[in-house]
Amino acid sequence: MPSDVVLLHNYLIVGALLFGIGLVGFLARRNMIVMFLCAEIMLQGVAVSLVAWGRFHNNWGGQIMVIFILAVAACEAGIALAMILMLYHRSGNLDIVFWQNLREENQPPHVDREIPEDVEGPRTWPTLTPAGVEPELDVEKTLHRSKV
Amino acid sequence: MNETQITFGAATLLGAVGLWLMLPRGSHRGRWLGVLCALGSLGLFGYLAPRMYLAEESTAALAGELVFMLLAVVTIVSAAATISMRNPVYSAIWFAMSLLGTSGLFLYQGAQFLAVATIVVYAGAILVTFLFVLMLAQPKGHAYYDRLSWEALLSAGTGAVLVGVLTMAIDSSMKSDESRPKSAAAEQSTDQAPVVLAEQHVAHLGAQLFSKYLIAVEVVGTLLLVALVGAVAIVSGDRKPSDRPKGAGHA
Repeated sequence: MPSDVVLLHNYLIVGALLFGIGLVGFLARRNMIVMFLCAEIMLQGVAVSLVAWGRFHNNWGGQIMVIFILAVAACEAGIALAMILMLYHRSGNLDIVFWQNLREENQPPHVDREIPEDVEGPRTWPTLTPAGVEPELDVEKTLHRSKV
Repeated sequence: MNETQITFGAATLLGAVGLWLMLPRGSHRGRWLGVLCALGSLGLFGYLAPRMYLAEESTAALAGELVFMLLAVVTIVSAAATISMRNPVYSAIWFAMSLLGTSGLFLYQGAQFLAVATIVVYAGAILVTFLFVLMLAQPKGHAYYDRLSWEALLSAGTGAVLVGVLTMAIDSSMKSDESRPKSAAAEQSTDQAPVVLAEQHVAHLGAQLFSKYLIAVEVVGTLLLVALVGAVAIVSGDRKPSDRPKGAGHA
């Protein structure tokens, strides 16, 4: 294969993998924000393929198309985030299953069989060892606020 | 079906199993096995991809190949980490990493403006807004729905079918001579440098954008305006009529 075909081949494979990963995430994850991140990953996969085709055909169309994809992604993100905020105000969480009343009529509802407990437990944060001499605190200075 | 296509299918299946094990399923069991499977599948894909330096046989081509491999691995590994993280904030950070890899891939193709625009628009605007909403709408502690997935196995299977068909089709069409797409260099049979890689790249891109694609630019601008108005309408939509200022009568 000539080298430009090899370059196109490899870029198309990368684009296909990105699209597939985004698709799996969009179908599987339940957090609405992560679902929209996955949609953006799918858009990135398409953009990679378009730029590769543009280079291959020596044509500006691929790159121009990606500029439009960027603009549409910005629109999508704005509207999606506004909707997510509204849905969060109504349901109190970001779970997409909360809105399963919108499913088709003959579909059975999704019920969580068991909710796994949080195995990570309470977080422990790092602490700093105090070093040096503790400066003396002037009580009057801390109470006095000159500008108020 | 030749040997390469079967190997592509095997790599896709291995990657699907790895993604399934990495997705949140309620328990942490098998997660590292999933990471190993996904990395193995990625290695298989890298092994199957044709080599650029074999076509040219120069040290520069070898270095370019290594840079491309590095960028591709960064992009794909970060994307896989985005969908498998339990904490949505980590997902957003990994997505930013994936964007850096993608813009590197754009730069490798000579698309300088797109590389910068991706970082500015995505990482600078969209991702920060995502993080903002995430901080605003995050319930306390770890949410149960971040530890569960819908039908993780079916989703991974769907992705595997799509990626398997795509990669096999790409590979077979690039390897057979009659169906291989003809590149611009082969069509024109001139040895001038590609226009897309010209100096003053941004000037050429802007000239194209505002002459040949002017109407599309106008349409996209209108779309942005409509999206802006729509977002404002969604956020302020369910005000009660009593909230309205007095004097604003019903139409």
